[in-house]
Amino acid sequence: MEHRQRDEQAPIIDVRGVRKTFGKFVALDQLSLSIPRASVGLLGANGAGKTTLIRTLLGLIAPDQGTATVVGYDTQTHGVDVRERVGYMPEADALPSSTTAADFVAHMAEMSGLPTRAARQRAADVLYQVGLEEQRYRLIKGFSTGMRQRVKLAQAIVHDPELVFLDEPTAGMDPNGREEMLELVERIYRNLGIAVVFSSHILEDIERVCDYVVILDHGRLVTAQPLNELGTIGGEVVVVIDGDQRSFAQAIAQQGIAIRESESEVGARELVVDVTDERIYDVIRDTVVAQDVVLRSLRSRSRSLEDIYLGDVSAMREEVQTHGH
Amino acid sequence: MATNVPTSQSSGYGEVFDRGYQHYDGVRLGRRQAIRSLIFYSMKRAMGIRKSWTAKILPILLYTSAIIPLIVMIGISAVVPNFEFGSYSNYFGAIFMIEGIFVATIAPEMLCPDRREKTLPLYFARAISRLDYVFAKLIATWTLTLTMSLVPAVILWFGKQLVADSPWQAMQDNVGDLGRVILVGVLIALFLGTGGLTISSFTDRKGVAVTVIIIGFLMVTAAVHSAFAVLEDYEWRKYLVFLSAENLVEGVLNALFHDVDTEMSRVANFSLGIYIAYIVAIVILGTLIIRWRYRPRD
Repeated sequence: MEHRQRDEQAPIIDVRGVRKTFGKFVALDQLSLSIPRASVGLLGANGAGKTTLIRTLLGLIAPDQGTATVVGYDTQTHGVDVRERVGYMPEADALPSSTTAADFVAHMAEMSGLPTRAARQRAADVLYQVGLEEQRYRLIKGFSTGMRQRVKLAQAIVHDPELVFLDEPTAGMDPNGREEMLELVERIYRNLGIAVVFSSHILEDIERVCDYVVILDHGRLVTAQPLNELGTIGGEVVVVIDGDQRSFAQAIAQQGIAIRESESEVGARELVVDVTDERIYDVIRDTVVAQDVVLRSLRSRSRSLEDIYLGDVSAMREEVQTHGH
Repeated sequence: MATNVPTSQSSGYGEVFDRGYQHYDGVRLGRRQAIRSLIFYSMKRAMGIRKSWTAKILPILLYTSAIIPLIVMIGISAVVPNFEFGSYSNYFGAIFMIEGIFVATIAPEMLCPDRREKTLPLYFARAISRLDYVFAKLIATWTLTLTMSLVPAVILWFGKQLVADSPWQAMQDNVGDLGRVILVGVLIALFLGTGGLTISSFTDRKGVAVTVIIIGFLMVTAAVHSAFAVLEDYEWRKYLVFLSAENLVEGVLNALFHDVDTEMSRVANFSLGIYIAYIVAIVILGTLIIRWRYRPRD
């Protein structure tokens, strides 16, 4: 048996120039990214390449170009080693109907290499963790959608993986079930220490449980960075001054910073500056001094993930249209 | 994972169970364990074990059909002097249809539910390759078919020896028969198991697979018999034996025991080596076809 030391700092996923096509359809287009050991939201519209990326990372499909490494193993040359150390919860209903939850989850633990006895014990414990302790000896065919999702989650973590891929785990669930599932997913990383890649097109779910986000669009990487940085870098700063607003705006603009005039909800005139980097606050301060105006208010307005998603995706599409690849 | 801690030394024994998630630091057996688990799980599912009682009825009936006549024969031979057991060829011929139905029952159960219930992505996301999956299913099917094609025949062999005047001496004298019985049982299991699984790999509906296996088996056998009769003047009609499972097994039995008296077995008098080579080729071809059916859909 091979014992490997977990390197908490090393990226858990490393993708280099991966391209995957299905006929003429480009599913992944020269994708390169490094993902840290975190709770990662994989965001994109249907057809953005999320599922293809997950299947590539599991070593289930071979990229046309490029390489991918997951938990330190090359997905193409060491696919079995990767799959022994990761869990996968598919979007589709993938459970056998005429078996009990306990039997199936134990079988899946064995399929990841756990000895029979340990597999049965962990199956019982994990089903308890996902709230199916009472129902574990019932046939899965009698389970509700929420219970089936929990079984899928249990089989994904029963073998104590380093990383778990969750493909649309809240799909088809009612609000209560969705809430409970999100709580479970949150616990997987925060309490159990298992890195999570959470694929979804529901922005709210990603914001709720993830601290890192990867956005894909038409197989291309739009952005990959910590969620908290997305809220500040790329947000806006609203400036209200007493003094010559026009010359103040010109002074800011002369330093290459986008600024526009706006009107607040109560009719006050204000200036809106796009935050492209942390330097922006220093520029505003220095310009206030240089222009000798009174700074009445300065407040940041962070964008929601939806703003970021829509803004970044449309920016990338424009760039692709303008410059091609 | 649950840890139990004794809490009292004096009054009885209490246990505190920690049901929190704990990391697993025990042994991991890897791909070997995954394949082993898939084999046993598939066999249990096909036999209806840990499923509803209705799933167990057919396998039990078929085993009963294959074994009860033997037990009755052995029982009668114990009380009726000079009772003649049937030959091994007769026995294999008699239960061949039962074996066919058995394979038609278990082979679709091995593959179809995984496709129909979309469980395949879960399997392929575990510590196995697609080829491992195919081999595990083949091994499970062959093993179960062996329990039908071999176990009753071995019981028959033991029964024959036990009713002899000197059972131990009879066993030593007839050990060659045991080897031939085992060889026939293995060849039948490989041939029928591979055929049944290959057909089952083309559909996700068990009912369709069962129907195709049984109807196909009957139709091909009938067609071969008709063609054999019609083509009386053609020397090459002997090759028709390779198209019908029933006649193929007859040919194997005749090559081993030389006691099958049918027109086809007289005409198609191939050597045992040719039959074995043909069955091995069928197994390889079937395996390749199933592997192709489970190729990645890139």
